[in-house]
Amino acid sequence: MNCGNYQNLISAYLDGELDAGTWRSVEAHLEQCDECTRVFSEFSTILEFCDEAYAAETEPPNPHALWCRINNIIESEIPEMQRETVSTEARSSAGFWNTGLNLSAGQVASAVAGIALISSLLTIVAFKNLSTPADPLAGQDGEDNVVEKVLADLGIGDTQVDRYERRLREQRAAIEYWKNRVEVRRASWNSDTRLVFDRNLNEIDKAVSEYTRLLDENPHDTISNEMLDSALKEKMELLREFSEL
Amino acid sequence: MKRILYITCQPPKISFPKGILMIVAAIAIFAAVPQDSFAQKNFNKTYPASKNVRLNLVNRTGTVTVQGWERNEVRISASLERPFAQIEPQNLSGEIRINVVQDNHGRGEVGDANFTIFVPYNSTVDIETRIGNLNVSNVQGGFVRAHITSEGDVTLTNISASKVSAKNLIGDIFFDGVIRSGGTYFFKSMSGNVNIRIPLESSFKLLATAPSTRNIALGSFSNSSMRLLGTGRRVVGKVGSGSATVTVENQRGTITFLRR
Repeated sequence: MNCGNYQNLISAYLDGELDAGTWRSVEAHLEQCDECTRVFSEFSTILEFCDEAYAAETEPPNPHALWCRINNIIESEIPEMQRETVSTEARSSAGFWNTGLNLSAGQVASAVAGIALISSLLTIVAFKNLSTPADPLAGQDGEDNVVEKVLADLGIGDTQVDRYERRLREQRAAIEYWKNRVEVRRASWNSDTRLVFDRNLNEIDKAVSEYTRLLDENPHDTISNEMLDSALKEKMELLREFSEL
Repeated sequence: MKRILYITCQPPKISFPKGILMIVAAIAIFAAVPQDSFAQKNFNKTYPASKNVRLNLVNRTGTVTVQGWERNEVRISASLERPFAQIEPQNLSGEIRINVVQDNHGRGEVGDANFTIFVPYNSTVDIETRIGNLNVSNVQGGFVRAHITSEGDVTLTNISASKVSAKNLIGDIFFDGVIRSGGTYFFKSMSGNVNIRIPLESSFKLLATAPSTRNIALGSFSNSSMRLLGTGRRVVGKVGSGSATVTVENQRGTITFLRR
């Protein structure tokens, strides 16, 4: 074995990894070769330094291999992520149209017919609203016209009865609010004011119950609807204005 | 011989010290009564105003009378009843504003405030009260509004305004005036009589509703264009060319048109 072979075995010699024959052969060579003894000394110094000075900072075994592995993982992950991002964007931008293209001819025809119907109805409603001024004398007996009935049947528009009922609900909620306010203020009024208030509230309530009864008999009675609406407005106003006293 | 019987009434005899004591007691009682205990207090104020000044009054309780006059000034007189209301009129640019509700908010009980206000003929009058009568006369400005929140009569006499609005709950409404071309006139009551006295040559579209009584008397203004709706609860139609709009609603009372 030449010096190169012995120098390759020095690391294993220091680590005690050689068999007895090789170990004795290496030891005998080091006793007579200065060059190999210098390499041995350097190796020994490095090992001692590592053991003493960097004992706390335990480096992972085979750091190069570890970095190589990490690098490989990163490189393998990045293209996958990029591919995924690109495909998601593509799905979000083109997904609707891709789905739409899968419609059958019948589905497309139905969709077009639906759009045309809705557009026509909206046009009619808009035209009607533009052409009919808010003239109190124009209302005949308050019945819904054909367009309104069709819209109501389709679930797009409200009938007059629906609108009145919604307003009545809102008014009744407001009346409850002002009633509570009046209850708080009432104690500070004199007896005359209390009498007048009660008399007027009673008068309104008479009208309200009369129109409610009429509407129970005929929910499409527009005049009773209007009068009930008006009476409830008066009640709300009476409560609101007396709550300020 | 005639005998004349004289019956004489002798004043009760009061001893001198006792009399003095009674006088002193009377003075003491009189002095102890606070000034606020007197039945009424008066308020008077006059403001220079333009011809078309706007009067805006919100009263709590009491009668309000507004009259047009030829002077370019607004004179406010009020008689206040106990407990006296605070009145703080504001003279803004082109507007006299009095808000008795706001000025006495949170005071509890406040007595009647009865106003008499003179305004230039062409004034705009916007008055309301919670309880009490409202009277407006000789006003020919752009707008007359008289609203009573609860009960009281509204009396509008010799009015020539293009917008009129009168409202109450319990009480009568009387309008005596001119229907101006293109004007809008609105009268609404819950229970009472609504009487409208206008010239025969008036021109207006009419929407009158008296659902309870169905008593809508058009008198000289009845014509073939009038239609009864809702089994006589409502009347719609036109008088003349119909340039103005008259809307009358009386929930539980009558509606009557009279020729002026």
